Amino acid sequence: MKSEKDNFISSQLPAYLDGQLSPKEKQQVEDHLAISESCRKELEELRTLFTAFKEEQVQVPSDKLRNQFNQVLEQEKLSQSKVVLLENNKRSWASNLLKIAASVALLIAAFQTGRILEMEKSNQDVAAILEESLQIKQTAMLSLMENQSASKRIQGVSYIEEFPNPDEAIVEALAKRLLHDDNDIVRLNAFEALSGFASSEMVKSIFIETLEKEKNPSIQIGIIQTLVKNQEKKAVAPMQRLLEQEDTQPFVKNEIKLALPKII
Amino acid sequence: MKALSDEIIMRKVADGNLDLLKVLFDRHHKHVYNYLYKMSGDAMLSEDLTQDVFYKLIKYRSSYKDGAFVSWLFSIARNNLKTHFTRNHKYHEPVDVLEYKTVANDAERQEDYGQLHNALNQLSPQDRELIVLNRYKEIRYEELAEIVGSTPGALKTKVSRILKKLRVIYLESN
Repeated sequence: MKSEKDNFISSQLPAYLDGQLSPKEKQQVEDHLAISESCRKELEELRTLFTAFKEEQVQVPSDKLRNQFNQVLEQEKLSQSKVVLLENNKRSWASNLLKIAASVALLIAAFQTGRILEMEKSNQDVAAILEESLQIKQTAMLSLMENQSASKRIQGVSYIEEFPNPDEAIVEALAKRLLHDDNDIVRLNAFEALSGFASSEMVKSIFIETLEKEKNPSIQIGIIQTLVKNQEKKAVAPMQRLLEQEDTQPFVKNEIKLALPKII
Repeated sequence: MKALSDEIIMRKVADGNLDLLKVLFDRHHKHVYNYLYKMSGDAMLSEDLTQDVFYKLIKYRSSYKDGAFVSWLFSIARNNLKTHFTRNHKYHEPVDVLEYKTVANDAERQEDYGQLHNALNQLSPQDRELIVLNRYKEIRYEELAEIVGSTPGALKTKVSRILKKLRVIYLESN
């Protein structure tokens, strides 16, 4: 038979499982559980039931509920702001006008600031993009110039048009073509590309070096003309050497004879 | 935002910060819906009534007094349900008695629901309501007392008695 104590403890079991008892009450329940078989069984059964509550798949309402709630809330917000506006109107027209004027001024100021900031930002962006595309082109140019196919190398050399201010890497790559490429046309193209920057000391010394070893007459003549135009004194010695060499074409010698007096 | 209690948020809502109602909606709409569903057994109806509970929250926000928010919320939900059934059962039931529809009358349909759901349906509506509020939302006895109009002590005894009944029904069906 169940004692009164059993009944009391049994009524405490839900709170015990929920951890809602005071330490003293908790101890009381645990002491009794140790001696009462029926209460232990009851506790286990209750635990099963509570687990079922926890694990039950709770029905979830559809999204419609949230959407409709948000709609009603927006409507309520609108009507709320309308009420505020009417009250203000009654109070004072002048202060409202001032407020409107201030807000218009604020709007224009904000718009202008935004526009200026936006412009600055887009300018920076454009500069960054330009810089980036130049670098891509440079990489393409340098790698094309190393290509096995002569036509690809010519294509690479002709990319020079994209660079108004080529850096050292490009000039060096072009010089390498001019000095060492086996193909006449590639060398000629490289010369033409470099002649656009003949005022630079680096390019001039490359030309002089070329003049010492170049056998192709059209390149020889081109270099002679460019160097004379730039009044390069250091070119005199290699030109005279060319005059003395037997395998130099006669019309090249002729060109040198005409050119030498022009360098003063 | 999570750190703020329901009561503090609701006071701000009452002062005009309507956006905060979204937080309360997020926290509670599933529980309100679950309560209404467990009591009515009708998903469509529960959704409509849940909707109505939160409309009333918007409409009557300024009438919120400093009390437990869940008590207020579930009092509204409870009244909604009561009004609905009073209106629909006017000619069949005594008006002052809470008479809720039992979920799914025929035994075949009951198999679709969980065992716990079926066991709950064998309780009287009043008993079922106390259990649903107490177990699913873990509403404390103080707040439960506010909702159903009783004292915490009496409810504690009552709930443990109903749980005993439910335990037997549930384990028998297992």
